[in-house]
Amino acid sequence: MAMDMDRMLKMIKDRQWALADIDWDAPGAELIDPELHARLKPFLSDLMWIENVGARGFAAMAKKAPTPTLKSIYEHFHAEEQKHANAELALMRRWGMLDGDEIPSPNVNVQLIINYLDKYSDGMSLSFLGTVIPMLEVALDGALIKFITDEVKDPVAQDVFRHINSDESRHLAVDYEVMDILGHAEMRKLLADFVGGWLKPSMMIGFLSYMPLLNKMRDNIVDMGVDEQKLFGAMAKYKAVGSRSEYARRLPMFRLVSLHGSWVIDRDNLPYHLVADSLVKLTAKIPFGLVHRTPTWSQELTYEPAA
Amino acid sequence: MTIAVAVIGAGFAGIGTAIRLKQKGIDDFTIFERGDRVGGTWRDNTYPGAACDIPSRLYSYSFAQNPEWSHTYSASAEILDYIDSMVADHDLARHIRFGREVTGISYDEESGEWTIRFAGRRRPVTARSVVMASGPLANPAMPDIRGRDDFAGHVIHSARWDHDYDFTGKKVAVIGTGASGVQIIPHLVKQAASVKVFQRTPGWVLPKVDLETGEFTKRIYRSIPGAQRLARAGWFWGHESVALGVVWDTPLTRAVEALSRLNLRLQVKDPWMRRQLTPDFSAGCKRLLMTSDYYPALQADNCKLVTWPIARIAPEGVRTVEGIEHQVDCIVYATGFEVSKQGTPFEIVGVDGRVLADEWAGGAYAYRSVNVEGYPNLHVTFGPNSGPGHNSALVYMESQIDYLTDMVVHLEHNGWKALDVRAEVQERYNRDIQKRLASTTWNSGCQSWYLTDDGFNSTMFPGFATQYANQLREVDLRDYRIRVHADAAAPAVGPTVSVRVPTRG
Repeated sequence: MAMDMDRMLKMIKDRQWALADIDWDAPGAELIDPELHARLKPFLSDLMWIENVGARGFAAMAKKAPTPTLKSIYEHFHAEEQKHANAELALMRRWGMLDGDEIPSPNVNVQLIINYLDKYSDGMSLSFLGTVIPMLEVALDGALIKFITDEVKDPVAQDVFRHINSDESRHLAVDYEVMDILGHAEMRKLLADFVGGWLKPSMMIGFLSYMPLLNKMRDNIVDMGVDEQKLFGAMAKYKAVGSRSEYARRLPMFRLVSLHGSWVIDRDNLPYHLVADSLVKLTAKIPFGLVHRTPTWSQELTYEPAA
Repeated sequence: MTIAVAVIGAGFAGIGTAIRLKQKGIDDFTIFERGDRVGGTWRDNTYPGAACDIPSRLYSYSFAQNPEWSHTYSASAEILDYIDSMVADHDLARHIRFGREVTGISYDEESGEWTIRFAGRRRPVTARSVVMASGPLANPAMPDIRGRDDFAGHVIHSARWDHDYDFTGKKVAVIGTGASGVQIIPHLVKQAASVKVFQRTPGWVLPKVDLETGEFTKRIYRSIPGAQRLARAGWFWGHESVALGVVWDTPLTRAVEALSRLNLRLQVKDPWMRRQLTPDFSAGCKRLLMTSDYYPALQADNCKLVTWPIARIAPEGVRTVEGIEHQVDCIVYATGFEVSKQGTPFEIVGVDGRVLADEWAGGAYAYRSVNVEGYPNLHVTFGPNSGPGHNSALVYMESQIDYLTDMVVHLEHNGWKALDVRAEVQERYNRDIQKRLASTTWNSGCQSWYLTDDGFNSTMFPGFATQYANQLREVDLRDYRIRVHADAAAPAVGPTVSVRVPTRG
């Protein structure tokens, strides 16, 4: 049965939480042992920036939304992703990971995606954004948050990630519903949209930024001592849930993103991983200063519950 | 005792109606005003920066021109002075009853009279004709935001400004970036310690070139009335041409948008901020904003544009969906007015006990925006589908006033009991209006106060001001059912009966 978007929007509004609702000074910070503390900082920095990337994606999707209700939903999702990033920053602050007012920098691969989205996302079609953003959400956000909730015993963090998870479940429900709606279009239109989208030279830049990001995050997860299967499981979920809808399956871009996901999680696909890992190595050599941009939208991050 | 005409409201429309009634020889009228002075929306809107965005030369009555306007676009105080001067010049004070809030009106078919009831007064007033001049911008609208009453700080609505509140050193939130918001914000930024501007939908902004009128020019206007008429005509036709881009979605609409984008580009440096300030609807779909100091104010060091959706109002400030509580000392609501698209400001009972609000539940309608079938001798100023998107509201209002006062003259001079528009004429008219509205920018898909929740447009007129004025140029009595008193002879209404009533003065 089709989702009632008005009801969903009302639910989103009803379930709002704020940083001020969390007691950031409550006991539990001491449960992070020094070894985990050292590993968590870069991990959380990346996670926080990926939330920020998701936020920018939703901002672009709000511009393309076909109805005012869906537009408002995406505007809320945009802000909620920012809230997740803010909350993660506040956790880092709570755990003493930040130096003064420090906002940690993203890694090169996340920065490349930020640069790409900043420049091109508003020009991308809803069917492109609506298939790629869910993959980023389900795979990266989902897997990383899963790791944190498993590993970090601090009750404040547990509380924060419970809120984030419940927001994300609504994001994904809408993501899949929109894929289903988009899939109802005539095949001729879907193909024209797909081909037209890929004819843009900017898409190749996007793909070359997106491809190493997934492998880089896999490396990060492994470095954290986490089984890569957690990431792979999340990526497989993207395909499995999307494939349940006969209409989402009709979206050429969904097929492509799913196919790409299956390459990522197939460690035996040597040619792909050779290319992707080379790109990770190559991008790691890029001096950060060369790609570092801080568009205004990425400067809104704050750990302060009140401003 | 029954009066000839009861005028409800002493704003621009009520005062204009009174002047024209007098000029047409009707002196037996009373204006009922709920406030304690004249001026309507201009009496209520005294927030810092309040000004008209239509040039004063055009935002004034052609029958009461004013050579003294100090600027191209006048501020509210000067407009209020102008309304006061009209009251004085036409000896209207004796016709006005202040502190009279109408609670309901009902029509008696037997006598052909309307009974008007007032809050706190036992004795109603009866009148043969009623002019609803209560205006669409009479009641401030508060936004539907959770926890709005929880805020512990100071609250001000733009239409009920608190002049005693000192903004110096205060942290202020402004909710709303429409016509009043963009006028208030630059003034607050100069005074307050910090201003957070909460924007839901950005509007198309055009620069406003507001020049001071020199003494020499005023002298010319004073001594040569034709010069004033000429200047007014210039402004009129200039605005009229804008309809081509604002009323209908045409290449000119793109030109208006391009001009607005250029204005944005020149005034706002940051690309993300430009994106936040760029509308995603056609120019004209919502009211165009005229201001040159809004964008610079937004970029001031003590100002911040917040575009996150508002989650709720908390005791200390505004919580937005990105999880932050924006703590402030004062919230300014620049959220406009309850523009009635369906209801009526009070109960209106017509023939056979019909209730107008019930009939308008699906969206208001009228004949030529002035009359509604089943409600004889009741005239509405700024009634359904009379809103302009590109020209002066007073041009439209003047046509309505001339039309309805002509009807009053017909009724009074002939001693008729009632003039009631024919249902089929009204239906045909509205079918045509809605058909024409379908191709306008207002019906092009954006949400605005012009439309009901169901998307019905009961506010705007789909055409040029000239077309609007032409349809109201003459009362064609064949469009109306004429009822006479029992002892009177039936009127002979033929094709030539439509007679323009000569005016005095």
